[in-house]
Amino acid sequence: MVDSQDMVKKVFTQKSARIDTNKGENYYNNLFEKAKQRLSTLKKQAPLKDIDMVDVIETEGINRRDFMKWVSGTTATLMLPPMFEPLVAEATELMNRVPVVWIELQDCAGNSEALLRSASPTVDDLLFDVLSLEFHETLQAAAGHDADRQLEDAVEHFKGQYLLFVEGAIPMANNGMYGTIGASGETFHEHLMRMSKDAAAVIAVGTCATFGGIPAAAPNPTGAVGVMDLVKGKPLINIPACPANPANMVGVILHYILTGQVPELDSLLRPKFAFGYRIHDNCERRAHFDAGEFVEEFGDDGAKNNWCLYKVGCKGPMTFNNCSIIRYNEGTNWPVGVGRGCIGCSEPDFWDKYAYQRPMAGANIKAPTGGVEKTVDEFGLGLLTATAVGIGVHAVASAVAGKKSEHNEEE
Amino acid sequence: MKTLNIVERIEGEAKLVCNWEDEKITDAQIQFLNFRGFEYILKDKPALDALVYTPRICGICGQAHLKATAQALENIYESVNEPLYITDKAKLLREIGLNIEIIDSHIKWFYLFIMPDIAKLSKDEKYLKYEAIKGESWRKGTYAASESIKALAVFAGQWPHTSYMLPGGVMSDPTLFDIMTMQNYMDQTLHFIEKELIGDEIENYFNFNNISDFDSLNGALSDFIKLCLENDFHNLGKSYNSHIVLSKNYLFESGRIEIKNRQSVDLSLVKEEDINSFKMNEPRRDNEYTWAKTALYNDKPYETGPLSRALISNRKLIKNMHKEYNDSVLTRVMARMDELIYLVFITKKLIKQVDISQDSFIPPKLSLKDIGTATGISAVEAARGSLLHKVTLENSIIKNYDVITPSVWNLGPGINEKYGIAQKAIIGANSLEKAYIILRSFDVCSVCTTH
Repeated sequence: MVDSQDMVKKVFTQKSARIDTNKGENYYNNLFEKAKQRLSTLKKQAPLKDIDMVDVIETEGINRRDFMKWVSGTTATLMLPPMFEPLVAEATELMNRVPVVWIELQDCAGNSEALLRSASPTVDDLLFDVLSLEFHETLQAAAGHDADRQLEDAVEHFKGQYLLFVEGAIPMANNGMYGTIGASGETFHEHLMRMSKDAAAVIAVGTCATFGGIPAAAPNPTGAVGVMDLVKGKPLINIPACPANPANMVGVILHYILTGQVPELDSLLRPKFAFGYRIHDNCERRAHFDAGEFVEEFGDDGAKNNWCLYKVGCKGPMTFNNCSIIRYNEGTNWPVGVGRGCIGCSEPDFWDKYAYQRPMAGANIKAPTGGVEKTVDEFGLGLLTATAVGIGVHAVASAVAGKKSEHNEEE
Repeated sequence: MKTLNIVERIEGEAKLVCNWEDEKITDAQIQFLNFRGFEYILKDKPALDALVYTPRICGICGQAHLKATAQALENIYESVNEPLYITDKAKLLREIGLNIEIIDSHIKWFYLFIMPDIAKLSKDEKYLKYEAIKGESWRKGTYAASESIKALAVFAGQWPHTSYMLPGGVMSDPTLFDIMTMQNYMDQTLHFIEKELIGDEIENYFNFNNISDFDSLNGALSDFIKLCLENDFHNLGKSYNSHIVLSKNYLFESGRIEIKNRQSVDLSLVKEEDINSFKMNEPRRDNEYTWAKTALYNDKPYETGPLSRALISNRKLIKNMHKEYNDSVLTRVMARMDELIYLVFITKKLIKQVDISQDSFIPPKLSLKDIGTATGISAVEAARGSLLHKVTLENSIIKNYDVITPSVWNLGPGINEKYGIAQKAIIGANSLEKAYIILRSFDVCSVCTTH
């Protein structure tokens, strides 16, 4: 267990998340043909749910133009060129061919809550009407033993076909006594292994499920680990962040429908379409970073003028995620937008490494090199180093926390 | 006869173990079997880190935890005679943020959890609209909740898990446009509440005196009341009928009620017991069956939450209902919905009061690092009831962080001969379906309960 956690850390400090936003005409033409074939095969399959997306759109009075706007946004999110838009629209209509099972382990339900707020057309139309959500503890109709049975039935009936979404970490200390589930009282670990055995792919949603998240923060009292530490020999996709962005959850499902495969992943198993670049690269405050204009203290003039939050602890330059573009709550806003800075929540061990009070430059974090790093221009990079010196002083006092990460850094 | 049942569709899972005699529940245990150990994780962390940790205790009431942490840290400044000055703007933005979270939580709870379950008890087809996922009302409720929470995201950055508050104020500086956007979202929520929930205009609702005022209406509340009366929920779900509210704001008063006398509260009399609860790294004893602890005031159990708040704040409709039906499921659920309606109304007013020219944040003259050793305490009203945070710093580092959540008051195990609040309310129910609904009337959240 400890080894694989350390592996994650190592991976994070090495070359990772290299992304090509344009892969050339040949690549896209091939993919287009493949996706077309895949969709026509899917179309021939009987739907699991007798609900048609087009009907849903019409009866719910959702404007076709609004729907197409959503399609074009989603196509861009998946980093596909506009020629894929008709296929993405079609894939949306075929969501009812893919069964989804969603389990909650050591979690706070934050990712389920986020999913309830997925982009328009509203999630109840898109996901609950069309997507065949076979089991979701909070959202399903069944309760009690019926719910237990429904889960068993779904797993049996859709053997080898269902996408298993996992929310929450897995407590391994004291034989898993910190989390049990169902009438039989099986541990979260046993439950995860049983549910993932016959899944077509496992999708870990949120930083708890991907990297252990907050339960794994030092001293990790319950011995929490992420799904990737336990599930092997199976396509596994990590969608970290706290909460994970529902746009990325929908994106992964659509990509699977479109291609029958998991999307291209980085070394931490995160889809590159969502985690291929840093928050910093597309931040609305980036110009102020480049110009050397920083908020020095919350509430100062810089804060009032929306300057860069780097010196008050923003972890954007080290955090791979698309939230500077997608934002949250259907694009309403995101943390940097209201002046609070990124906390690096889609990175492993962010609780200990990136803790809020410590400006990043003092936290001894090694930057991932290569790939995206090259997109930071010389001036920006130079400044990053220069700022680091200034900030280091402030950081000393707060370095007492996060013993776990300090220990590792010393090694 | 002993039965074990799973309670799903709460946040997390709970087990309900019942003893039955003559088809009635004579004893009940509510078990929460998931634990993360936040209080252990917060130990040895810098004080400000708690602002990002505690909201993650719960994906539904993170705002309440955030506000509790910010205020507990501000209380530390008070304890060393260096009180911080918080502008009205910052105070308003904090309260508006928390209100919106409660609004969202109440809408969801009613449409996702209460109505689908209670509608199942009737064969009448008109209640099919409350069916989970498929029902029209279920979907409208989900939609209304997601829309209203956007008003929070506008100035808090995202929801769930925002961290825009800090000791001294808030980080965000909403523009006039942001304020208007928030108003628009609240207007939509109000419209939903008038059209779908009440079936009448809010001004009329404020004149309601009793459930008979709902007779001629066609909103979800009228359906709920009918279903309650048909299934005896105006008699079921009664507990000790003693109530506590630990803090006050624009809508709520603090205090406690025992046999009709309202009294003040003293936070130092609140304590947490763990006689029947599991302990970290200790072998389990026979009497231990849950991760939930038990909160007591002056060694006595109290109910906390919307019903307690309505009674202590003297809100008319609920006060009248309570005279007739006591602390039954009917009164408890209606109190939560009454609170929802008042909160939307009041929050709209509060948004109007925000003066954007004021400062959002005034930096403290002293850093928490300079304070060294001190203790801070705070209480806030969260969706499910009173939430208490107590933090002790030693050498500027968190030595101890104690969180007492609303669910620990309502859903924790009893102590000695005394049952816990929900435990007592369930005893006497004559079917499992009804026991579920009694339990749900407390708005169960397993992650907050155990944290």
